[in-house]
Amino acid sequence: MKTTENLVLFDPLKGIKINGEFVGSIISVNSEPPNSIIFSDNLKISDDLISMKQALLVGFEDIYNEKIAFSRKSDFLWNDLQDCPIEYSVLIPKEIMDIYDEGQFSDAFPFTINLLHTAGLYLDDSDFEIDHLEFFKGEILKNPISLVFNGFCVADRVAIDHRSDPVFYDCIIVGRDQNDDLKVSYDPILNIKIDDGALKYIIMLGIEELKF
Amino acid sequence: MLLHQNKKLRFLSFLKTGLNPFQKFVSTGEIKEEIGFVRSRTDLINSIKDAINKSDGCIIPIIGEIGTGKTHLYWALKNKLYYFNTIYISLDNVYRKFFYNVYSEFIEEIGPEVLRSITSSLCNNWGAHDRKFGFFHVADIEKVKRTAFEDLSDKFDDKIALNDVINAITAHQLDPYKKVEAERWLLGELMNFRELSHLNLLYDLKRRAYAFTLLKIISENAKLGTVLFIDDFERIISLSASQPQSEVIFEPGWLYDDETKSPEMVAAEKIFDKILQLNDIQRLKIIITLKSSESLNEIINKVQEINENLVNIINEPLFLKDFEEADIFEFYRKNIETFLVNIHFSEFLEDFWNTYFPLNEEVLKKINRITNGNPRGIIKQLINLFNDIIYSDEDLEVILDQFMTKG
Repeated sequence: MKTTENLVLFDPLKGIKINGEFVGSIISVNSEPPNSIIFSDNLKISDDLISMKQALLVGFEDIYNEKIAFSRKSDFLWNDLQDCPIEYSVLIPKEIMDIYDEGQFSDAFPFTINLLHTAGLYLDDSDFEIDHLEFFKGEILKNPISLVFNGFCVADRVAIDHRSDPVFYDCIIVGRDQNDDLKVSYDPILNIKIDDGALKYIIMLGIEELKF
Repeated sequence: MLLHQNKKLRFLSFLKTGLNPFQKFVSTGEIKEEIGFVRSRTDLINSIKDAINKSDGCIIPIIGEIGTGKTHLYWALKNKLYYFNTIYISLDNVYRKFFYNVYSEFIEEIGPEVLRSITSSLCNNWGAHDRKFGFFHVADIEKVKRTAFEDLSDKFDDKIALNDVINAITAHQLDPYKKVEAERWLLGELMNFRELSHLNLLYDLKRRAYAFTLLKIISENAKLGTVLFIDDFERIISLSASQPQSEVIFEPGWLYDDETKSPEMVAAEKIFDKILQLNDIQRLKIIITLKSSESLNEIINKVQEINENLVNIINEPLFLKDFEEADIFEFYRKNIETFLVNIHFSEFLEDFWNTYFPLNEEVLKKINRITNGNPRGIIKQLINLFNDIIYSDEDLEVILDQFMTKG
């Protein structure tokens, strides 16, 4: 596991706010809807605003009392930092992104399932549970986004093993440690047991939503 | 002392089983040479390296008489030019389908792994691996092709060939359903119409413009530079100078515009044009070997006839000289060492290192003298002498005495 520090651009909990315009691979965790993530290649922070252009918001939303996974491309702008739903923003270091790129199956690997549209694969919710892991047992799925404990995991692919547990490959994990400091780490493999209750959700990103 | 003598006897009896340390007196581009160059030729290797690393001039002529080791030079360079793919080209093999055959030799040298790495890097440069939203690789093949075409179109005249080469490279990296066929095409495999249409291509690499375009793109984007070692370049002059026979049933003029030219002359001129066309490829250098300065002058005249400006691409010649006296000792030692290592008898090395056993210093000096230091002549003499030692019933001393007293 490779861990890197000092890449936090915005974290009100720790009083961190670095003004400037940043480019690269940026993950912002959003509280509206809860536990949603914004992926972006740009972020602008100033004294009174935070903005992102052409970013992708991913999470679950309530529609008619159902939890529906979604991903939505949009520009984001918050003029009032008091009302800004962003919990934190982290710039993933280039060296981790390079390892992440190296670890990816090339597009030439034809046996990985690309979902066309974003969908929930798993959701541990007392009111509305989703569990399609059994259905995809033995398959490899591309572009999973998951929440494990309080860490957000962006992986290149997830394989569902013979116990219907997910095995994530080529993972970037962002989350808070026991001191609530933000950490970024890379893991080539992340094996999760559903019975442990650590996995909160898995969202499969749809390729159509990434393309257009 | 007794042990030492026994070792000599053991070595002699071993040789008498029929193993000659000197067997090959002609080097070829196919069979790897393990013996490096002698010390007096280090300067030549350094001069060649300098010429290759210089930005100007594409063709580096090496002049050496018959048997001086011009082909052996290829193997010495291949081991020394760490930052170049050094490829041996025999004009006999590339006589027809020049670019296709040169490309095939090039691909054989770099191998499919490097080819994959180059096509991946090319697609990356053309935007295939851009991260959408900072994270996700989503290749838009048509966009990648457009970017590639915009990048390269001003460097190539044949746009159809360029378009098809880009199609093949992008399919190889980005289209999982065409990857295997695209790799076969890129490796130079000939394909039928059905296979080509599956890849959306018009021709395979037998088409001259296709082979040249791909050779230029792949070699310019390889991490290592490229050195083509064209051996025995005189052949092109002899071909282009060959006169049609006085009485022929087949009249070349029926097929060729100029009836004074034989098919060989036409082919030689075409090869010459194509070799000059290689000048367009960046980071590609050509070493040509010739037997005399006169041949080089003829080649320069020929280049002048085609285009005076192209004369600049020919560097000053470098000369491969015969052995100096000290070289034969080094050469002999290296050969015996390689021989002993190859037959797993390296224990003899320590004992015979300073003795030149079973020969001696005087014998080696005489060999150098009677051959005027010509390496091929030296090897022939050594083969004969070792054959005498192996197959004669005479004592070693008698054989060596007979050799020394021979005129």
